[in-house]
Amino acid sequence: MPSEKELQISPIVQESVVHNSRTLYNLQTLAASLFGVSAGILGLESYSGFVFYLVFSLLTTVLFYALRVAPASLASGKPALDTSRYFRGSYEFWAGGLMNGLAGFILTWTLFYGLVRA
Amino acid sequence: MTLLSRSITVIGGLLLAHACYSAREHSALQSLRTATTATLTSSPAAAASLPVDIKLETVISTFIILLGLVLGTRPLRPIEWRVWAGKIEREGEEGFTDNAGAVDKDFMGNPFNVLESRPNFVDIRKQRKEFADWVQKGDAQKKH
Repeated sequence: MPSEKELQISPIVQESVVHNSRTLYNLQTLAASLFGVSAGILGLESYSGFVFYLVFSLLTTVLFYALRVAPASLASGKPALDTSRYFRGSYEFWAGGLMNGLAGFILTWTLFYGLVRA
Repeated sequence: MTLLSRSITVIGGLLLAHACYSAREHSALQSLRTATTATLTSSPAAAASLPVDIKLETVISTFIILLGLVLGTRPLRPIEWRVWAGKIEREGEEGFTDNAGAVDKDFMGNPFNVLESRPNFVDIRKQRKEFADWVQKGDAQKKH
């Protein structure tokens, strides 16, 4: 987190922060439901299902970084895997999505598990 | 861009639906087979795991849909004020469009617009002189 002085020197545009986090949140909730569908089709149970979710959520974030953040971020001279051009905290970007989509994941996971193995 | 992401998502969705249907049929067949073999012989039921091609299809189609979804997200905006204002100054509305090319509804324009036109600083005498020159030039052209 930047200090008060740094915020005074280089101010933050609040609308852009909201816009970016909402974009990421929408993608993560949508993608989590999708992962639930495929985990149900695969018939995963207990820990393997959660590992599947973890792996694919991280893959989502990496893809989002590679396709949406990286082109402009690297062009403006930021180091690789640095998201400070578009997001305030790197933790929020890389790990914040795990909790966003978990409910949707479990919902579609159980639904499709039941549908396929009825 | 939006057509590309949408078509990728649709292709992945078709593959995923096909994988879902295949898994459904496989489990139905499996339960039927165990039911028949249980009555005929006492052989143990075959392993109920999915064939590897259905698993592969599921994972690959998930990845394809994911790619489509990521490509379909709205472009991000810089959060630092100086980067953001510079982008507005350089690109104007074109820098703040969604994938279809329409300007975002919440794009509020240049934050320094109020500084762009200041009537107090208009040099009215210079403008009058320029106008007079222009009129004279027109007269001169008419006489020729």
